[in-house]
Amino acid sequence: MQRFYSVLMGMLLCMLQFAYAQQRTVRGRVTDARDGAVLPGVTVKAKGTVAGTVTGADGSYIINLPPAAQTLVFTFVGYADQEVNIAGRQEISIQLSTGNKELSEVVVVGYGTQVRRDLTGAIAKVPSKEIENFPAPSFESAIQGKAAGVVIESGSGKVGQGLKVRIRGTSSISASSQPLYVIDGLPIQTGSISDVNNEITNPVADINPNDIESIEVLKDASAAAIYGARAANGVVLITTKKGRAGQKTVISLDLSSSWGKPTKKRGFLDAKQYVDLVEEAAVNDGRIDFKNGYNGFGSEQEAIGAYKAYYESAILDKYALGTDWRNQQVNTNWEDAIYRSVARGNQVNLSASGGNEKTRFFASGFYNAQDAIVIRNKFTRYGGRLNLEHSATDRLSIGLNLSITRSQLDRVSQDNNYSSPGQLVAQLPISPIIDPATGKLNKRTLYANGLLDAALNSDKQTTFRSLGNAYANYNFLPWLSFRTEFGADVMSFYQERFVGKDATDGGGIGFGESSSSQNVSFNTNNYFTISPVLGAQHKLSAVIGMSYLQNDAKEMVAQGRQYPSDAVKNLSGATSITFAGSVNNRYDFLSYFFRANYSFKDKYLAGLSVRTDGSSRFGPNKRYGTFPAASLGWIISQEDFLKDSKVLNFLKLRASYGLTGNAEIGEYEYLSLYGISNYPSLPGFVPTQLGNPDLHWEKTTQADVGIEFGFLGNRLSGEVDYYNKRTTDLLLNVNIPSSTGFDVITRNLGKLRNQGLELTLNSVNIDGAFRWTTSFNIAFNRNKITDLQGQIIESGQQRAVEGEAIGVFYLQKYLGVDPETGDALYMDKDGKPTTNYGQAVRTVVGNANPDYTGGFTNNFSYKGVDLSAFFTFVQGNEIYNRAGAYESAGFSGGFDNQTTEILRRWQKPGDITDVPRVSISYPTGQRASSRWIYDGSYIRLKTLTLGYTLPKQVLSVLKINSARLYLSGYNLWTKTDYISDPEVNTTPLGSSSETDRNVAGGTDFYTIPQARTFVVGLNVKF
Amino acid sequence: MKLNRHRPLRIAVSMMLLTGIACNNKLDVTPGQHITPDQIQTAADVKAVLFGSYKSMQDFNAFGERYILIPDLLGSAGQVTFVGTFTDYRDVFNKAQVTQSLIAQGIWERSYVTLNGANVVLKKLGLLDAAEKDAIEGEAKFVRALTYYELVNLFGQPYSAGNTSTNEAVPLVLEPTEVYDPQKDNKPRASVEEVYKQIISDLTDAAAKLPGSYSDNSGRATKYAAQAILSRVYLAQAKYTEAATAATEVISKGGFALAITFDKAFNNVSSSTEDVFAIQQTDQSNAGSANSGLTTMYAAYNATPIAGRGDVRVDVNLYKLYQEGDDRKAYVYQGTGIAGGTGDYTRKWKDFYKAIPVVRLAEIYLIRAEANARAGSAIGGKTPLEDVNMVRARSHAAALATVTADQIVEERFRELAFEGDWLWTKKRLKMNIGTRPYNDLKLVLPVPQRERDVNKQLNQNPGYDN
Repeated sequence: MQRFYSVLMGMLLCMLQFAYAQQRTVRGRVTDARDGAVLPGVTVKAKGTVAGTVTGADGSYIINLPPAAQTLVFTFVGYADQEVNIAGRQEISIQLSTGNKELSEVVVVGYGTQVRRDLTGAIAKVPSKEIENFPAPSFESAIQGKAAGVVIESGSGKVGQGLKVRIRGTSSISASSQPLYVIDGLPIQTGSISDVNNEITNPVADINPNDIESIEVLKDASAAAIYGARAANGVVLITTKKGRAGQKTVISLDLSSSWGKPTKKRGFLDAKQYVDLVEEAAVNDGRIDFKNGYNGFGSEQEAIGAYKAYYESAILDKYALGTDWRNQQVNTNWEDAIYRSVARGNQVNLSASGGNEKTRFFASGFYNAQDAIVIRNKFTRYGGRLNLEHSATDRLSIGLNLSITRSQLDRVSQDNNYSSPGQLVAQLPISPIIDPATGKLNKRTLYANGLLDAALNSDKQTTFRSLGNAYANYNFLPWLSFRTEFGADVMSFYQERFVGKDATDGGGIGFGESSSSQNVSFNTNNYFTISPVLGAQHKLSAVIGMSYLQNDAKEMVAQGRQYPSDAVKNLSGATSITFAGSVNNRYDFLSYFFRANYSFKDKYLAGLSVRTDGSSRFGPNKRYGTFPAASLGWIISQEDFLKDSKVLNFLKLRASYGLTGNAEIGEYEYLSLYGISNYPSLPGFVPTQLGNPDLHWEKTTQADVGIEFGFLGNRLSGEVDYYNKRTTDLLLNVNIPSSTGFDVITRNLGKLRNQGLELTLNSVNIDGAFRWTTSFNIAFNRNKITDLQGQIIESGQQRAVEGEAIGVFYLQKYLGVDPETGDALYMDKDGKPTTNYGQAVRTVVGNANPDYTGGFTNNFSYKGVDLSAFFTFVQGNEIYNRAGAYESAGFSGGFDNQTTEILRRWQKPGDITDVPRVSISYPTGQRASSRWIYDGSYIRLKTLTLGYTLPKQVLSVLKINSARLYLSGYNLWTKTDYISDPEVNTTPLGSSSETDRNVAGGTDFYTIPQARTFVVGLNVKF
Repeated sequence: MKLNRHRPLRIAVSMMLLTGIACNNKLDVTPGQHITPDQIQTAADVKAVLFGSYKSMQDFNAFGERYILIPDLLGSAGQVTFVGTFTDYRDVFNKAQVTQSLIAQGIWERSYVTLNGANVVLKKLGLLDAAEKDAIEGEAKFVRALTYYELVNLFGQPYSAGNTSTNEAVPLVLEPTEVYDPQKDNKPRASVEEVYKQIISDLTDAAAKLPGSYSDNSGRATKYAAQAILSRVYLAQAKYTEAATAATEVISKGGFALAITFDKAFNNVSSSTEDVFAIQQTDQSNAGSANSGLTTMYAAYNATPIAGRGDVRVDVNLYKLYQEGDDRKAYVYQGTGIAGGTGDYTRKWKDFYKAIPVVRLAEIYLIRAEANARAGSAIGGKTPLEDVNMVRARSHAAALATVTADQIVEERFRELAFEGDWLWTKKRLKMNIGTRPYNDLKLVLPVPQRERDVNKQLNQNPGYDN
C-alpha cells in the first residue's frame, strides 16, 4: 500500500513540472456585507476565460490571470453574484451581499476544511457558544442533545467521571466504542488512567471548553474514513480558537459562578415509618411461621410476639444506640447526608486574540473549580493556552497550538462500596449520625458508616497535561501546499489515596496507595493539499499524506499499610509497603491517506478517500488495513428548474459508502504471553495469554444517504440522514476450553449492525428586532447483533446475544403480587405465574438502548435581551435499579431503610398491588427480576439561559466593547417515570473491561443523581 | 526551469516517505511486562516457567485455598460448618452446587494453568544442561501429577467406586498449548483409570529423577515429595504394599522429623521439618487476604494482627473424636465471623502468609501404618502401632496398646482435620459422609457449565442434569 501512495506523490511532482509558469496574479479576501465574516468557498472567475479559483478558509484567494482578463466574477450559493473590474489592481477584496451564511460555513473535516455546501459526508458541527461556560468539567456534557446521533451518557452526578459517548450506536463488543478525539490535528488520549478499583475518569476534561472554537463530529464513513482505522466509532474534531488577520486585539473576560443541588432525592422512610415496617414484618413472619409450624409456636399471637421481641432487639434496640426509637427520638435523614448543602462552582476565563497579516494569536488563561453535589467530590482545573501563527514569507507560515492544564479530581469510592456516600441511604433512620456514647461519628451503624470514610479518607488525582502541536505550512504554488505537524499530548498523572485506620476498608491499620503515570502520545502529520485551477466549472481539491502516532504509557504504583495514625497520609506514613510495581505499554499507528473532492458546475459533487493504517496491535501477518470511502452529492437547487424557486432555495442530495476500522483493544493481544509470577524466592513466568497471529482490524462499512434543504430564504433549513452501519470481524474475547490453560482468546468473530435515521431542523420563526429561532434534532438508532456464532456475552444482568440489541436486560419476569399471600410472582417456563423463583425463566425484559434521542432549542432575542431554552430527550430505554433488591424489597435484602415505594405494599389478603409483603425471615420478591426494570425515558429542560447585553451607549461610557450578563439554569425540569434521575449509568460490576462498558448500561446502583445548577455569569470584551 | 525551485517539494515528499519507512519498524512493539514464548531461550527461562506453576499451585483455586477447603466443605459432616455469606461456598457446604459454580470453574481453570506450565517445561527440556535436565523433568512431572490428582478426586468418582475405565475424570492434556486448535483442544474427559495411570507414571519418574533435597529452603519438590504423593495414590487404589513401600522411602531416607509440638507443624514462615511438601507464602506472595485464601476463610473476623472472614468454623461434634489432653483437640480458639455470631476456629489456618502443608510426615506414618495393617505386613520394620503412637505421642495423646486399620483411619481424622483429607479417606474406604454414601453424586463437583458451553466433548457428571 505504501507503493500506492508513493506513486501518487510521484505524479504530483510531475504535475508540478509543467504547471508552474509565472503569471499575473490578483489576490484578496471576500467577506459578508452584513457582518464582515470571511466567506470561504466563493468561486472567483476571470470573466470570459477559464481561469478561476475558490476562496480559502480565511476567505482569501489568489488568482492567476490570463492576459485577456478584465473582470472578476464572484459567485456563491445564496449570495448575489458580483462583478469587479480589475483595472490593473493586484489586490481586490470585496463584500458579498447578505445571503445564507450557514451554507458557507467552514467545516473542519480532518486534514483540511470544507465549505458546508460542498460536503458529501454527514458531519455535525457544534459552535463555541454552545460549549462555553457549561457547569461541567468536560465539553461533551455540553453537546449532549445538540448533535443528532451523538449520544452522551454522563452516568452520574459525580464530577470528572468518564462518559459513555456513542456516535450512531455501539459498534463493538470487546473493543472500545468511544469515538476518536482529535484536537487541532492531534489525536489525544481519552482512556481513563485512574485507579482501576474506582469508576473511570475522563481525560478529555483537561481541555478547557472555553478555548474551543468548534466541534465537528464526523459520523458517516465518507467523513470519517480519512481517519480510517480509528474511525469506526466516529471522530470528534476539536478546533481551538485562533486569532484572525486584521482583527483588532480583543480581550475577553468570562466570569461565572454556580450553585447546585441534586435534581431529585429518592425519598426514604422516616423513623416512624421504618419502625412500623419492622413491626409489620414481625407480624407477617409470625403468621407465616405459625401457619407452617416452623418453630412450633402454640398460637399465632405467640409467634408474632416472639418475632416482635426478636426484631426489636436485633434491629431497633441494637441500632438506636439507647435512644428511644418508639418515640422517634432519632430521625436521621441519611439521604441528606450524601449531599453538600450546596455545590459551588466558579469559572474565570481571560483570553486575548488578534493579529495582523504577519502574526495571529489567541491566548487564554483559565480557572475552574466545580463541586459535585455529592460530598468530597470536586474538580479543579487551571491552565493556559497559546495559539500562535506567523507568516514568515508569502509561502511559509509556521505556528504552534499549545495548552497546559493542571487538573485535580477529589474522588469518592465507586457506587458498589459501602464507603460510597451513595450507600448511606441504606442506614436506618433510627441510627443517629453521632454516637451518643462517644460523641463522634457513629460506628455502630447497620453497614459501615460512609461518613467515616468521608471524614477520614482522601483520594486526589492530579493531572498535568500539555497538548502542543507545532506546524509549518508551505505554499509551493497557489494551488499546492504542504503542511507538516508535529505534536505531543503529554499527560502526567499522580494519584494519592488514603484510607484511614477506622474507615470501612482501613482494617484498623490504614491503607495508602500512590500511583504515578506518564502517558505520552506524539503524532506527526505530513500532507499536501492540492487545489488545481481547472477552470470555473471544475473545483478539485485533494489531500495526500501520512501520519504516525506513538503512544507510550508508563505507570508506577505502590501500596502500603500499617500507619501509626491518620496524620501522615502519604506512603511515608505506611510502615509496611505491601505492593509496588511498574508497567510500560506502547502502541503505534502508521498511516497513509488520500482524499479528493470534486465539484462540477457547483452542482455535482464527488468525494473519494483511502486510508491505510498499520498498527502495533496486530501481528505482522495482518498489520495493515485499507479503508476506502466514496461519496456523491447533487445540489439540486442549482439546477435551472429550481434555481429561481422562491420557496426552495437549497436542496442537496448526498450518498456515501465506505469502510472504517477499529483497533481499540489493549496492547499485544495478538501475542502469546507469559506474565511474571512471584512465588516466594522462585521468581517465574506463568502463561497468561494465548496469541492469535491472524488478529486484524474490526471493520465497519457504512452507507449513508442524506438530504439537506433550505426553504424560504433559509428560514427553514435542515437535513435528514439514513445510515446503515455494519460491523464485521468483531474483535471479540472468545471463550475457549480452559483445559488449554487459557480461558479466552481475542478473535475476529461476529457481526452487528446499527441502522438509523437522523433529522435536524433549524428555523427562523420571527426575524427582526425580535428574533425567534428554533432548532430541533432527533435520531433513531437500532442496534442488532446479527452473528456471534452462538457466543453469549454477559455483563451483570445484561448480555450480548445474537438477534438482540447489545445490552438487553435478560432476567426473570416479575408478574406482580399474589393477592392472597402477598408473595411475589414470576413467570415460569410455561408462561404461568409461580412464587418459586427457582422455576422462573430468564427472558429479555428490557433494552438499555433508547429508541430515539434528541434535543430542542428555542432562542429569543430582543434588543439586548436573549433567552434560550434547550430541552433534551431520550425515549424507549429501560433502567435496571440493581439496588432495588436492598432498598425497595421490604427487608428481603437486609434491614436496609426502604424507599417510599414500600408504602404501597401488600398488607392483607385481597390487596391488589405490585409491591409484595414485607418480611425479614421469609423474604419474597427481592431477587433480580424485571421488578427492578423501569422505563428510562425522559425529557428535560437541560438549559435555560437569560442574558442581557449592555447597549452601545453604556459601553462607550464604560469604554468596553461589549458586555453580557446572564443567568442560566441547568436540569431545571424533568419529566420521567424513573424513580431517580434518569441520566444514570453505574460502573459495570466486576471488571472495568471494554466488554462491560459496551454491554452494560442504564443500571442504577446507589448512583448519585445529576445536579440542578444555577449559574450567574458575566462576559466582557475590551 | 530551475530544479532548485522545487527543492522544498522534494524535501517534503522525501520526508513523508522516509518517515513512513522508518516508522514501519516501530510497529513491532515489545511488551513491557510480559515475555513472548520465543523469549524462553535458556535453562533459567525454562525453570522460571516451572516456578510459575508453583505460583499457580499457590493460587486460591489450588492449594492456596480450594484444593483443601472444598473437600472439607463437601466432607463437612462432623468437621466444619460454613457460616459465611458467599453463595457458591454455601452451596458446596449444602451439597447443592450448581453447574455454574464459580468454584468448580475456578479450580478447573487454575489447575490447567498449572498443567500448561508444567507441559511447557517438559517440552523445553532440551534447553537445560544435562546436569539438571532430569531433576527439572522430575519436578515438572511432580507438579503435573499432583495437580491431576486433585482434579481426578474433585471431578470424578473415587478409585474405590470401581468402573475406573468408564468413570470419567478430566481431559488429560500432556502437551503445552501453543496455538488454539479447536480440533485438538476440545478434548473429552479421560477415564479415572487413565488419569491415575498418568499420575503414577509421572510420580514414579519424578521420584527417580528428583533430588533428595535442595541447598535452600525454597520448598521445591524433592524425591520424597513424589514418594509421599505416590503413597497416597497407592493407598487410594488399595495397593497397600506399594503404599507402605513408598511411605517407608519418605520416612527412612527423607530426613524429615515430626515437629516438636503439634502447634509447630502449622503457621510456619517456611516448610517445617515435618513438611514433605508445602506451599510457601509471604506478605507479597499469597493466596489472598480479603475474599480468598485458606486463612481468609478460616481465621476469625476478630483475629489479630490480621482479620480473616471467619466463614468456616469447627463443628463441635469433632471434639468427640479426641480424648482429653490431646493437643489436637485444644487446637482451636473462639472468634467471630464477618457475618456475625461467635464460634470455634481451628488454629491450623490462623496466621496469614504462612506455609501451607500439602503433605506432612505425620500423614506418611499413618499411611504406612494403615497400609501395613491392611496388608498384614511390617514394611519399613515398624508395626502399625509404633507408627500410630509416634504420631499420637507428639500431640500428648495417650499411647494405644493395640490398633486396627479402622482405628488408624480415626487417627487420620484426628490428625488431618481441616487439611482436605477427610473426604478422600471416606471415599476411599466407602464410608458414609454424614448421611450421604461415599459415591453420592453431589460429592463430586460438576464439570463447569462454561466448559461444556465451549467444549461439546465434555460430558456432565451424573446428578447435574440442568
